[in-house]
Amino acid sequence: MEKMGFGNVTSTSKTMKIIDTEKKISVLIVEDNLLIQKIHKVMMTKFGTEVQLATNGKEAVDLFLSGASFDLVLTDLEMPIMDGIEATKQLRSMGVTSMIVGVTSRNQDSEIQAFMNAGLNACYVKPLNAEKVTVVLNELKNI
Amino acid sequence: MDRNKQHRQVALMRQSLFDQGLLDEQFVQLEELQDDANPNFVEEVVTLFYRDSARLILNIDQALDKSPLDFAKLDGYMHQFKGSASSIGAKKVKSECTLFREYCKAGNGEGCKRTFQQLKKEYALLRKKLETYFQLARQVGPVETACRRI
Repeated sequence: MEKMGFGNVTSTSKTMKIIDTEKKISVLIVEDNLLIQKIHKVMMTKFGTEVQLATNGKEAVDLFLSGASFDLVLTDLEMPIMDGIEATKQLRSMGVTSMIVGVTSRNQDSEIQAFMNAGLNACYVKPLNAEKVTVVLNELKNI
Repeated sequence: MDRNKQHRQVALMRQSLFDQGLLDEQFVQLEELQDDANPNFVEEVVTLFYRDSARLILNIDQALDKSPLDFAKLDGYMHQFKGSASSIGAKKVKSECTLFREYCKAGNGEGCKRTFQQLKKEYALLRKKLETYFQLARQVGPVETACRRI
């Protein structure tokens, strides 16, 4: 399974489209792998968003507890200290209504469903690419 | 003319990496992220991959030396390694990672060891080819800034 949540990816354009908004979309990337963190950060920045990083679920939860807010949370599933499922559950129980999108290298239906059940808006199999990011940001713009 | 020949050489070298199945579409995604703000992005990411994965390779080597094998631990290491390899588009390396994980699930130690040897070969080969490619690409420079004859 490649994705779950939003409608089918229909965009075939490889052009990175900067989503035109008055205020930059704020994104929290929750990822323990530094390489993937770097790639996702550059990708999201290129789409015109403002990016902050967290290296595990607990850091993400702590950020929200400290009063930070983000339009979009992109979270990995498997992370040390607190994984993506637990972090998503905690964020939702705190009343966080940000769009939370899972990005995982797991591709079994059951694993992705379990992640979705935690409270995600959508879930994608890694790696992120321009098409997936476009769908997510367009979905965010339409909310 | 020499400059054009060099640019073509770089392009052909790049294409051969895809034709030989060493790289996949994800590498193109990385190239599309490279711009004036991040002019060496692809090379930086690849360098980071080889630096980070060296630790994982060592961990897996050490874990494969133990008896009995801890397949859950091995699978965990390889899951991380595969994630990183996928993110730079290292197609053949990623395939070996997948095979290794299948052997882990089957509890096949010999399969794991054999596959890991092959993985290390693919990993080293890709590194060498990418180093050569980046070196040539740096020497030649981007196509847009090629010198014009006055």
